[in-house]
Amino acid sequence: MKSLIRVVGAGVLALSACTIFAAEKVTLGVAIPTATHGFTGGIVWWANQAKKDLEKAHPGLKIIVKTAGSAPEQANQLQDLLTVNKINALVIFPFESASLTKPVAQVKGKGVYVTVVDRGLTDTSAQDAYVAGDNTAFGKLPAEYLAKRLNGKGNIVMLRGMPTTLDNERYNAFMGVMKQHPDIKVLDAKYGNWNRDDAFKVTQDYLTRFKQIDAVWAADDDMAVGVLKAIDQAKRTDIKEVFGGAGAKGMVKTILDGKDKRIQADVSYSPKFIYDAIKLTAEARLKGEKLPATTIIPSVLITKENAKQFYFPDSPF
Amino acid sequence: MQPERTESPNVSRRWRTALSGLGPILGLIALCIAGTLLNPDFATVDNLMNVLTRTAFIGIIAVGMTFVIMSGGIDLSVGSMAALIAGSMILFMNSLGAGGHPATLVVALGMGLSLVLGAAFGCAHGLLITKGRVEPFIVTLGTLGIFRAFLTWFADGGALTLDGELSDRYSPVYYASLLGVPIPVWIFAAVAVAGGVLLNRTAFGRHVQAIGSNEQVARYAAIRVDLVKVLTYMLLGLCVGIATLLYVPRLGSASPTTGLLWELEAIAAVVVGGTALKGGEGRLVGTVVGAILLSVISNILNLTSIISVYLNAAVQGGVIIVVAFLQRGRR
Amino acid sequence: MSLSVQFEDLTKDFGPVRVLHGVSFELAPGKVYGLLGENGAGKSTLMKILAGYEAASAGEVRIDGEARRFDSSRQAETAGIVLIHQEFNLAEHLTIAQNIFLGHEKKKGWLLDDAAMRAEAARNLQLVGLQADPDTPVRQLIVAEKQLVEIAKALSRHARLLIMDEPTATLTPGETQRLFALIARLKAEGVTIVYISHKLDEVERVTDEVVVMRDGRFVARAATAEVDRRQMANLMVGRDVSDMFPDKQPPAPDAPSALKVSGLTVPGWAEDLSFEVREGEILGFAGLVGAGRTEAFEAVIGLRPRTAGRIELAGQPVDLRNPRQAMRHGITYLSEDRKGKGLHVDLGLRDNLTLMVLERYAQPWLRLDRERDALAHAVAEFGIRTGDHASKARMLSGGNQQKLALAKFLHPDPRVIVLDEPTRGVDVGAKRDIYFLIRRLAAEGRAVIVISSELIELIGLCHRVAVMRAGHLQATLGLERLTEEELIAHATGTH
Repeated sequence: MKSLIRVVGAGVLALSACTIFAAEKVTLGVAIPTATHGFTGGIVWWANQAKKDLEKAHPGLKIIVKTAGSAPEQANQLQDLLTVNKINALVIFPFESASLTKPVAQVKGKGVYVTVVDRGLTDTSAQDAYVAGDNTAFGKLPAEYLAKRLNGKGNIVMLRGMPTTLDNERYNAFMGVMKQHPDIKVLDAKYGNWNRDDAFKVTQDYLTRFKQIDAVWAADDDMAVGVLKAIDQAKRTDIKEVFGGAGAKGMVKTILDGKDKRIQADVSYSPKFIYDAIKLTAEARLKGEKLPATTIIPSVLITKENAKQFYFPDSPF
Repeated sequence: MQPERTESPNVSRRWRTALSGLGPILGLIALCIAGTLLNPDFATVDNLMNVLTRTAFIGIIAVGMTFVIMSGGIDLSVGSMAALIAGSMILFMNSLGAGGHPATLVVALGMGLSLVLGAAFGCAHGLLITKGRVEPFIVTLGTLGIFRAFLTWFADGGALTLDGELSDRYSPVYYASLLGVPIPVWIFAAVAVAGGVLLNRTAFGRHVQAIGSNEQVARYAAIRVDLVKVLTYMLLGLCVGIATLLYVPRLGSASPTTGLLWELEAIAAVVVGGTALKGGEGRLVGTVVGAILLSVISNILNLTSIISVYLNAAVQGGVIIVVAFLQRGRR
Repeated sequence: MSLSVQFEDLTKDFGPVRVLHGVSFELAPGKVYGLLGENGAGKSTLMKILAGYEAASAGEVRIDGEARRFDSSRQAETAGIVLIHQEFNLAEHLTIAQNIFLGHEKKKGWLLDDAAMRAEAARNLQLVGLQADPDTPVRQLIVAEKQLVEIAKALSRHARLLIMDEPTATLTPGETQRLFALIARLKAEGVTIVYISHKLDEVERVTDEVVVMRDGRFVARAATAEVDRRQMANLMVGRDVSDMFPDKQPPAPDAPSALKVSGLTVPGWAEDLSFEVREGEILGFAGLVGAGRTEAFEAVIGLRPRTAGRIELAGQPVDLRNPRQAMRHGITYLSEDRKGKGLHVDLGLRDNLTLMVLERYAQPWLRLDRERDALAHAVAEFGIRTGDHASKARMLSGGNQQKLALAKFLHPDPRVIVLDEPTRGVDVGAKRDIYFLIRRLAAEGRAVIVISSELIELIGLCHRVAVMRAGHLQATLGLERLTEEELIAHATGTH
């Protein structure tokens, strides 16, 4: 019943849109994961922000945002977007690379312009454009920064996210830099699942195991929160630096205010790139243009000096 | 028409029953020996307290879960319930704190809210299951989604964070120690002892067991089956409330990952501890040992790096199956 | 077609307990044997060995002179030996036809031949006299019907030796008649039949020879015509069962009413049912299976909804909405389904005994020592035979389980107790114990209601018997009219 209303509603909308704005009409579907942690929470917020801003600015544009809790659900949503909403452009943050390549290719085969965000598909011919954060810089910048702060000597422990290609890219980039600093020992790297509680537990055990730690690469701002709490609890003073990642609101604020001397820097990997991707795609399509095949939204080192421009108090992330 | 076996009870079976009760404890001892050999830091008081403290959440919930499973029910929603309670507490305390109330009072009220919400959610489960006659699996699978969705909505997908002063005032509840033992461990111990007494030494506990063993017989034996069932879910909700009021001061925040998969860990602790999933039989000591066992496994994995991190889950799964094997009953 | 069996020094041990001590006897082909013995005498174990469900520890079984050892019931069935279980082996969610052919499905190529199976199932159902569609799921059947399905299932295996373990325990007189006709017919076809029953009158009617076992040993065999019931019972018990029933002591003429039910209506089961029982009185309830006796009393104690009716206990009107209220007002009900509704077989004896009135032992913590004392007391008082007070109820024999169940439902000290089939599946000795117990309860001033399908029991025990048919009370017979003929006539509506 509900879906029927939606179909009729979409039909009416499409009809009215046709009569009033006969030309240059773009129906853009946005498929993203549901908000399950800070980062995806930010993705959802920025996607809805883009819908609000862009639909206001361009009357001929309609944006439909769908969030999925799993890869199969996202694949189903693609079908719905195509057949029910009759989209002609798609921005997708794939839940998984491999299992969504075929469904996206099908959508593209129906003439829809496809922009893939963040996670590349296994077959790049299934996409028209690729917009992504810079995962290499996400690992490289903290490595360089920490190496400098430790003067090329010391012990580092690190946390990883979940076993994904994205995590591997960051990890490899970090370790690549560390190869050039033989006096820095990376003691261990365990998964903290991008979540505060698991990071807390893993850090507690690191602290039990290693008597001298100079820096922690938490690899995520949520995980950094858990790391700091665990260090506080153990009352350990040997850790001089904790480096998170992604530039979450709270972390950027800490840097801005100089609240915690262990937190001096962060690396940007803002969920805002979904906003950028939607904006770029929508505006290009409204003009009938194409995007460059690959757009990398650069990751930047955030320090006290430039923190202000990365602080978005309204975003949940 | 059963063969008469009552005259001299089957000695070997006796032995096996006794041994099977020891399964989880033997497993735990073996793990502890292995842990000490792999890393001498394992056997330190600090590490012990770390493990026990982090077991507290799951352990407290598992105590409540033992009652529910013993009575033949199940609750899949505990992790989500903890998350929603944590979020609600934080919102409630922040708004009271902003109103200028004294921080200690606000924290006390927040803790009270956590218990009330837990009991209320549990009561709702119980009523839906008994009066509404919906399978417990379905009811709690539904609320599993509902609770977490509401938290995510409250938090806009991000994290809810307790305001500074409140957080400082509240944090001793998790971080402080009494006689060298952290508060959560004391509370865990108290809940476990209270649960043991309730299960083994009260009419309520016996009724729970009777219902799980055979609900029909219990009904004919003049037990108020529905009431007892509702009470088990309320008790579990209360345990979730206690676990949550200990959890919130740890990070001072709640996010959509709060309490993720706690339900599976709690159920695993109960079952590894020797309680039958179909109900009727169980031990509270086993549950406590089971909960500690589960956190010891991940503690040992964190303290060593002999196994690829990719295989951590496999080790956990393997240990669980081995322990279950040690304590398997007849057939 | 026929088949002869010889047991040679057969021994069976369960762990350290020996349940069969070198049993030897033989069964000639084409005869009907009554296998007698108290619970625990070893009859069932012996038959399970014959039918491949258990393996003997020593000794051998010869079939037609050839030593055989069956590793599974399937092998035994191939040899033509089929056991009809006392406890049913039916898959509740499958249909009658599916159950009958379970494990022996007829196939057409790769696919099941449902039509053929349904047709044959229907034929067998007709033979055993069950009027039911072969597609009915078994869970919808009542106990007696399930028993008939078990028999139909055995028929479909084309048995040459058929073992029936208490086949009539749940059957009505009419169904029992039909079963006897079937036995006669099978015998005429040359099938050997072993008939295990506690009902000696049936054994007397249907068998050619009786074999008596006691304490895991063969005791005696005799042509049925040469022994009377009394002798059979004496052989089984090993002592003289002088009299099964205690003498009747009528309640005092001025005994007050204990329970009065007027106009009770239970939707689908009973209509406008009225009766009264006085203190010290034993009131029987007779009727066919499905007559609504069980359901009426379940409604009285609040386990089933009632749409009309007034209940008075000791002259006070009461509204009993659940068994707990009923118990508080002094009435308890022991179900006919001992393992499904009466006892927690997986719990200990103590837990079972005190379950209904645990609050008596909670102050507020349970006093396990007092519970243990109560159990010791009950074991002595009710003559429960158990070696180990800490064992589970499952370990007790049927008769002792029933005594424990009686102790449990008497533990709240009810003024009115309803006993539904109190001696079902119970051996002669235990039966007698239970009769004397009931008599004692009445002498103590309690009102006892006995629902039973065994007419001899009702006649021997009760002061009055109410007969129900299809949900209606047909008649209440006083001592002077209490005969089998009267009871059957009212129960079947042929009065």
